[in-house]
Amino acid sequence: MEEAATAGQLAGPPLVVLENVSKRYRRGQEVVAALTAVSLQLQRGEMVAVTGPSGCGKSTTLNLIAGVDRPDAGRVRVADIDVSEADEASLVRLRRHLVGVVFQAFHLVPHLTVEENVALPLALAGRHDAARVDALLQRVGLAHRRRHYPGELSGGEQQRTAIARALAHRPPVVLADEPTGNLDSRTGAEILRLLDEMRREAGTALLLVTHDDTVATMADRVIRLRDGQVEAVL
Amino acid sequence: MVLRALFLRPAWRRPLRLLVTALGVAIGVASLVATVSANRAAVAAMRQGVLELSGPRALEVTCPGGLDEAILAALRPLADRAAVAPVVEEVALLPALGDAVRILGIDPLLDPRLPSGTAVGPSLLTVLTERAVLLPEPLARQLGLAAGDTLALSVRSRLEEARVAAVVAPPPPTAAWERTIVMDVAAAQELFGRLGRLDRVEVRPRSERDDLADLARELRRLVPAAATVAEPVARAAGTSRMVRALHFNLTALSGISLLVAGVLVATTLATSVVQRRSLIALLRSLGASPRQLATAVLAEALAMGVVGGTVGVALGILGARAALASVRVTAAAVLPGLPPAAIALDPDVAVAGFLLAVGVAAVAALAPLAEALATPPLQGLRWENPQAAAAGRNRTALAAAAGLLLAAAGLTQAPPVGGLPYAALLASLAVLAAVLLAAGPVVQWLATLANRGPRWWRAPAVRLAGGALLAGRRRAAWAAGAVGITVGLAVAVTIMVHSFRVTVLDWSQQALRADVWIRPLASPTGFGVGRLDPEIVAMAQELFGRDAVDPFHTTRAVVSGREVTLGGGAMEVIARRGGVPFRSGEDSRQVFRRTAARRGAVVNEPFANRTGLGEGDEVTILTPKGEIRRPITGVFFDYSRQEGMVVLDREDYLAHVPDDGPREIGLFLPPDRDPAAAREALLRRLGGRFLVEALLNRELRREVIAIFDRTFAITRALRVVSVVVAVMAVLTVLFALLAERRRDLAVLRAVGASRAQVGALVLVEAALVGLAGAALGLLSGCLVGKVLVEVVNLQSFAWTLRLVVPWPNLAGTVAWLVAACLVAALAPALAASRLVLQEELREEG
Repeated sequence: MEEAATAGQLAGPPLVVLENVSKRYRRGQEVVAALTAVSLQLQRGEMVAVTGPSGCGKSTTLNLIAGVDRPDAGRVRVADIDVSEADEASLVRLRRHLVGVVFQAFHLVPHLTVEENVALPLALAGRHDAARVDALLQRVGLAHRRRHYPGELSGGEQQRTAIARALAHRPPVVLADEPTGNLDSRTGAEILRLLDEMRREAGTALLLVTHDDTVATMADRVIRLRDGQVEAVL
Repeated sequence: MVLRALFLRPAWRRPLRLLVTALGVAIGVASLVATVSANRAAVAAMRQGVLELSGPRALEVTCPGGLDEAILAALRPLADRAAVAPVVEEVALLPALGDAVRILGIDPLLDPRLPSGTAVGPSLLTVLTERAVLLPEPLARQLGLAAGDTLALSVRSRLEEARVAAVVAPPPPTAAWERTIVMDVAAAQELFGRLGRLDRVEVRPRSERDDLADLARELRRLVPAAATVAEPVARAAGTSRMVRALHFNLTALSGISLLVAGVLVATTLATSVVQRRSLIALLRSLGASPRQLATAVLAEALAMGVVGGTVGVALGILGARAALASVRVTAAAVLPGLPPAAIALDPDVAVAGFLLAVGVAAVAALAPLAEALATPPLQGLRWENPQAAAAGRNRTALAAAAGLLLAAAGLTQAPPVGGLPYAALLASLAVLAAVLLAAGPVVQWLATLANRGPRWWRAPAVRLAGGALLAGRRRAAWAAGAVGITVGLAVAVTIMVHSFRVTVLDWSQQALRADVWIRPLASPTGFGVGRLDPEIVAMAQELFGRDAVDPFHTTRAVVSGREVTLGGGAMEVIARRGGVPFRSGEDSRQVFRRTAARRGAVVNEPFANRTGLGEGDEVTILTPKGEIRRPITGVFFDYSRQEGMVVLDREDYLAHVPDDGPREIGLFLPPDRDPAAAREALLRRLGGRFLVEALLNRELRREVIAIFDRTFAITRALRVVSVVVAVMAVLTVLFALLAERRRDLAVLRAVGASRAQVGALVLVEAALVGLAGAALGLLSGCLVGKVLVEVVNLQSFAWTLRLVVPWPNLAGTVAWLVAACLVAALAPALAASRLVLQEELREEG
């Protein structure tokens, strides 16, 4: 299939590369082609939006990059890790050092405080950086809520916590799956703005999945998928 | 941080689940610690009763039925090398205490065991010249007696008196000495009618360097052939062996309780993993390694083990006091006058109980751990269908279960090892393990059935419950397995105890034919202490005629190389009405007549099963007056003892064994004689000179059953433990299933289900899980019960029991358990009916 155009590419080799990636899923008796020969790249520091209707393969793309799934054909590389063939230890390294994730449903750990949730990726990697955590909390405007639990926060506050968590370990890539899907439009806009600012400050590449075209306008590039294939690159 | 997120923080905020599971572990550990501690205390008391009184570095010369004191002269050549001490050891009842004590008759001039630290000097003359005793301080305090007072004793049912020459401090260790009264050996011989006879002679080398083995060899050259030379530890081991089988079986049953607790831990952990599936998946998405996840799951398991083990050991000591009463009854039957057994927690029992709890919890965590590690990162969860039950998996599980059952069948054919039914108990474990394997397929079958059948059956709640069970099959299988194992254990123990009880009841109806039983006063264990005076026999014969009186004597003897009880009964008297049932099915009257006529012997079933001897074979009996041979004329069922017994006609018995007085007397009255009136007449005739109990036939039967019930109290307690754990397992799993399906239940409400229907759905699930477990438990329990009755009892106690399944009782147990599951499900059902729709149905994208 067509290779995605790379308008606005930043210098250096791409951080994320998908080469002719195909993925099929079995749903009962049926086999569904989630992706068919998709190729795309993500450069250091750029923001790319992946859009398309439901079932077009957006989340599958994220899952492949996050190492949650493996392609049936093609290759997926994130930095120096070939995700298609990575063992468990490599996948753990991928998640601890290379990739941060922001979910639509926030997915904070309910038994940990805001501060502990933000520190979680560092702790998983055996690191403790109170200054880093504090700085992130200040940046997202939640320093005064650090000892609160997720159940005590609003949706916007929870997503800000999640953003801080995703950036805590300074990953070169952040994957965001419909980060504003559970928020009202005003809060959603604020979150997107925050996400964009923080990833620019950190020089982090952001791959954002959304079905909202207005969200896509903030991106450096927009890749539109339809029926598991790249329909257009804008 | 993973530990904090997955285990520590949730446990801190909601400790109930951890505590409930730990309690389940504690119960399992407590039952094991209680049984082992009680067993040990009873066995230790028995050993103490032998070893402490014997003292160190001694050899004993003994002979079944006692030694002629002429042996002392035969041992004079050893005078330079060793101190030779005659001993008479008996039991007597202290009416003031209501319990038995040991009477140790020794030579106070020669015996080094005379309690030290006492100014025995002036009292020694009293001890030597009068009927006087040395009373241990603790006993004197209990009786309120001092030197110079009079001590009343019941000896051969006769009320006797002795003067308290001195109150002495018992030598350490004190346990056995606290209930031991010392007197001069000659006075003891006279008091107990043992003139010219001793229980044993103790030989102590004068030099510490003298070799005991060499001394023993020299002794054997000097003593009669029938006598045995051994160290006291051999005698202690012999008494301990008699109760070994009971202790082993009780310990094994308690071990199974711990297994049940392990199943509870596995169930709880498995449901814990389910409830935190999303959290585990999130942590994986954020980079948690398998080791970090495993640490958290194992930490939770170990916490349950540590808390449960600690509490269980503490509860075990409390339970041991109750268990000891049950165990002590059996031990007292073997060793009357048993010193009071102190329950002390041996460090190794405590450590073993604790480690077992932790070990069981760790092993129980393996399957849930595997499930946790198999959880994909969060994004992968939506594509999962972990609950789809492959038909192949069911077939494998059922095949494995069938394999275990076949293995169990094979194991039941294996012989005992050292007289203990290891293979048979393994067979029982195999059957219970098969329950776990079969639980999944059975749950699936029931769940599928919920979708079929007549229309009235397919109410929405029933169909949805079936669907929910299919979706949460693995979790439901855990719960059904836990319920199945606990029900199985409860059913098996119920069948065993009921079969035993019915057998004993039937047996006692045939065996206990006398109208009145006369015996010495009994200790709190229910067994008569000592013997009856021969004068009582004469009085009874005078009142009722010789043909109505059956005095029954017993002594220890070596028969065909085994130490057994040798008995003597008036067979012509018993033959008129009949007695114990015989294995051949022959009328007991004919057997007794034949035995008396042919000067034969009847043996009990334990003897026959252990020696392989039966009707037509010959037994060789070593009596105090020499060796005799008798043909076996019958094998009788005997559930009053585990050890062997050989019974001769009384005249034949008394021709070879000195008459110390019978253990009991049975009166067989003519039909027109009122037994109660006869009892009164005899007691009036005894006139307060003798302390006896005279029981009517129905009273004795009631007492036999009461002793039986006391002995098996511990097994009934184990049954209750099992059911409690089953209910805990169901409760744990139901809450987990609810957590897993909150969204589904919310969707049901959103499309029109009422709160009551959602609550009913959860209740039906609980009923289905309970039914699956109950069905599995009933089947497995019947199999295990059959093994316990027909194999374990036979191999342990050499008893043939009739297998009697109390179907109404079992049906009640199962119904009660399913009801308990429903009650346990009320809380989850209520929670399900109160789900807040908007929270559960929020889109996740």
